[in-house]
Amino acid sequence: MGLLTDPRAGSGKIIKFLLKWERPLCFFLYISGIVWILLLALPIFNDNTYFSENALLPGLVTKESNLEQTTKQYYTHLINEMKRYPDVMPYAWLAAKLNQLHLDVFTHNFTLIYPFQEQQFTGQNIYGIIRAPRAASTEAIVVSVPFRPIHSIYLDTAPSIALLLAFAKFCRKQKYWAKDIIFLITEHEQLGIQAWLDAYHGVTSGNGGVLISGDLPGRAGSIQTAINLELHSMKITSIDVKIEGLNGRLPNLDLFNLAQNMIAKEGIRQSFQRRFDVKYKNKFKNWWYHFNTLLMMITSQATGIPTGNHGLFHRFGIEAITLEGFEKPGQQSSDGNFYQVGRIVESIVRSLNNLLERFHQSYFFYLLPSTDTYISIGLYIRSLVLIIGGIFVKAFSMWQRLQVSTSTEDKKNIVVKQSKDDGFDIGIITSEILWAHICGVTIATSPFALTYVGKKMDFRTEDSIYFGFVVITILTLIWPFYFRRQMKYKNAALICVIALVELGTVLMCIAMHNFSLALLAAVIYVPYVFILPIMPKQNFTKFHRMLSFGWISLHPFMIASLIIMCYTYVNFSSDSLPLILFRGYRAIKQAFVFSIVDSMIYGNWLYNVTISTMFPIWFLFWNILCSNIL
Amino acid sequence: MKKQWLSNFILAGIIRFLLMNSEYQKVISDRVEVSTALNSWKRVTEGVYLYNCGIDPYTGDLFHETPIGLYVFNFIQQHLSQWILFCLFVFTDLLTAVFLGLTAKQYATELVSKQKVEEKLCNENKETRNDASIVYTSMMYVSAGYLFNPYIILNCVGHTTTVFTNLLYSIALVSMTRSIFWNCLSISLLTLQGLYPVSLIVPAIIYITHSSSIKREKNIMNYVIVFASIITTLFGISYYIMGSWSFLWSTLGFILTVPDLRPNVGLYWYFFTEVFEHFRWLFIASFQINVSLLYIVPLALRLRHDPMLLAFSYLAITAIFKSYPCIGDVGFYMSLLPLWKHLFQYTQQGFIVGCFMLFCTVFAPTVWYQWIYSRSANANFYFGVTLAFAIAQIFLLTDILFASVKHEFAVRHGINKDISGNTAKLLLE
Repeated sequence: MGLLTDPRAGSGKIIKFLLKWERPLCFFLYISGIVWILLLALPIFNDNTYFSENALLPGLVTKESNLEQTTKQYYTHLINEMKRYPDVMPYAWLAAKLNQLHLDVFTHNFTLIYPFQEQQFTGQNIYGIIRAPRAASTEAIVVSVPFRPIHSIYLDTAPSIALLLAFAKFCRKQKYWAKDIIFLITEHEQLGIQAWLDAYHGVTSGNGGVLISGDLPGRAGSIQTAINLELHSMKITSIDVKIEGLNGRLPNLDLFNLAQNMIAKEGIRQSFQRRFDVKYKNKFKNWWYHFNTLLMMITSQATGIPTGNHGLFHRFGIEAITLEGFEKPGQQSSDGNFYQVGRIVESIVRSLNNLLERFHQSYFFYLLPSTDTYISIGLYIRSLVLIIGGIFVKAFSMWQRLQVSTSTEDKKNIVVKQSKDDGFDIGIITSEILWAHICGVTIATSPFALTYVGKKMDFRTEDSIYFGFVVITILTLIWPFYFRRQMKYKNAALICVIALVELGTVLMCIAMHNFSLALLAAVIYVPYVFILPIMPKQNFTKFHRMLSFGWISLHPFMIASLIIMCYTYVNFSSDSLPLILFRGYRAIKQAFVFSIVDSMIYGNWLYNVTISTMFPIWFLFWNILCSNIL
Repeated sequence: MKKQWLSNFILAGIIRFLLMNSEYQKVISDRVEVSTALNSWKRVTEGVYLYNCGIDPYTGDLFHETPIGLYVFNFIQQHLSQWILFCLFVFTDLLTAVFLGLTAKQYATELVSKQKVEEKLCNENKETRNDASIVYTSMMYVSAGYLFNPYIILNCVGHTTTVFTNLLYSIALVSMTRSIFWNCLSISLLTLQGLYPVSLIVPAIIYITHSSSIKREKNIMNYVIVFASIITTLFGISYYIMGSWSFLWSTLGFILTVPDLRPNVGLYWYFFTEVFEHFRWLFIASFQINVSLLYIVPLALRLRHDPMLLAFSYLAITAIFKSYPCIGDVGFYMSLLPLWKHLFQYTQQGFIVGCFMLFCTVFAPTVWYQWIYSRSANANFYFGVTLAFAIAQIFLLTDILFASVKHEFAVRHGINKDISGNTAKLLLE
């Protein structure tokens, strides 16, 4: 093993190669990562979906339901009831209907104490349980619907409540259930489902004292899966399956496949990201269509905001999806098709009833370019690994260069090594890194202080947070200029190496939870990191100075604002420019507040993680760019 | 100089104290990387409670501290309020840092004098250097390495008994050249609690052989007798406290047979959940031989001139391969690394090891969350991380050991070797 050998055989070559081709290699890795993700949308590069879980037995049961008439009856009653109470949920009516079916019916009260304002909101969920005749109540399936009042800004869900009641009536009569079925109607969109889940499991997911979920009067077994229904009309022409959950978690691929297959089987058009499977003859067009679907999934997953009520189940290890049914606007026909929709729900729930274990077979990490193909983690992670690999190459070559410069120095005064300082001032480096991180954590926890100060000055929450962030951004920008420090090149380079390694690690960790977010962050940050001019100031050209100033736009707050501005521009491109700017400004204010409030109520970590990890990394680089490197 | 030293200690104390009083304390103390079956404070509390109820705490599978530990912790829990308990943990950690600093001072002076002798031997022309500053920086870095080591901070905040174990380790190291009694006492206490530290008597004995040639045999005999008598006395005291030998199976037996397979940063849990019951004893035997016996003699022979490095490598090997490792053990030997600052120029894998360490430390809780809470990952993910962590540590250890070999070579023959006109570097292949 341990032999003293001549170095020019072996690993020296690799290092020399790295040092020589560092920058081209970094960019090559970056570009190949991007190309890889582009290629992934090609049908050749992804597999057809299949069922891993044999126990599901999809579509093998004889479907018995005919929910068309019952649904219609329930629907007309419900609409009448809703018109009588346009702003609230008809609790009594819903509870009475479920009671008529002889379910165990309970109501669940919850309170939201809105953070920053001390306002209180209350809500109620109603749920009924069918106890499994075939087994002890150890496992359960949830069928849920969010209730939306008539004046709600969201699309109507009354048809799905009607379907839920009709389906409950159907289920009541069957004897083959091996799992409890919970029929849940929630209020206030995701708040209701979050409170119900917290109460069901007896935990608080967000910050304490924000969403007070209380306790449930009745429970069933441990929840295995959940189906959330959002049918917007009595005539469903297409059903969209939504999967993205909180913090970018996805349900097991088997559940998604099950839903898509059942929908297809009943002859209703299935879609993903509201895009139907279209097969173009033109290969490029075909790729472009799939790539756009993939991109939409990536962007919606990256925000970490659940696309529907299903998204909050995932945290508890419950696989859940939302079926969103649309009506094609043009077609006007009086006839409904809840016969088919009912059968879709029936066959999905009966397949789930067959399950012997929790979903564990198929993929939890995947991307979808269409409804019937998927990209597994083994394929897509490579693109990110390539991009992040570039970061490590850069860090390693910088580190090697430092080593080399130390050893050349050594040659000059061979023996004095130990008495001489070895070049790195560990005190400066650690304090620099420590302070950057302390700043990050402080900013992450600052909203409370900001709103407190804002309240004293009679600002609204949005304003105080937004202007607070503006002040913080400006402070962090001018801070290094104010303390224009001298720094030895070596120390600066070592800090860079550490920041690079940290960036790579953080991106990889984020990728484990939310691949899309990590991918987008990597695509934005990594190339800029490659070209940052870390060198003594006297070599600086104008171009370098411009590059340094460009780094400002990657400040987490700045980049968030920029992205929202672009989004506004794309959505309202017909408006005049000042109006777009104004809209964007309002959207930015709201986005900041929402991301903070989301982190407090639901435990969405987008805000916390970006500020406490990406900000320090940005700040370390900014500090170095602004300090006087000798 | 004094000021910096003092400010380090105050800052470290404040960090620990703040974290202990924050909401993170509970999260940290429940982490599997921090608390294992052997060192968790929760288990100590349970054990003390059972003891006070008159139930033998060793009958269940809960409490694995020594009876002496039980007695001490009983005293602590009965008489100290929570604040003083916090202070005790912080103070113990600071004291450990002081002892480590003293160890570093001792080792650095030893190193300097050794180098002087060798310089005379080699007869090379060298400039005078500032010995005092070398000693000081070594001392400073080692203590700072302990005070600001994130692993150690987490360990202290998590209230593990490893805090006290580390104190004993540092006493053992600092007393290696000074006092036979304290050395024997600390090593035997450690042995009673963790079994593996018994290997530390080897470097201690080597130190004795180095010291004076006249009374060498007598001193060694002396040491062995003192050690044997102290450890017998400790066993006797334990028996006296418990009134039975049941504790042996729950402490030493628990360490050797590895019945608790709760995940930790080590390698045992995954292996023994997977292995067929039929082969369990075979693999337990081979794993235990690997950690406790295999390396003792070869390393002792190779590193006989540098007992401190020997002690370091024993500590590292134990921390990597022992049955219930925690990051407190890892942090302890890592904070000793600045002792070998003179070897750093010969190391090659610093970057890789550093990246791996950082990566594993951040990645472990991530995949843990996915495995345990959101059920989208499985045990293999976490085991992968612990495996990478162990590999990184092994790399670190071999790198340091090989650097010491290179250093020896360089001191003997001069560093600047020309091979056909080009300067050569020494590499491990």
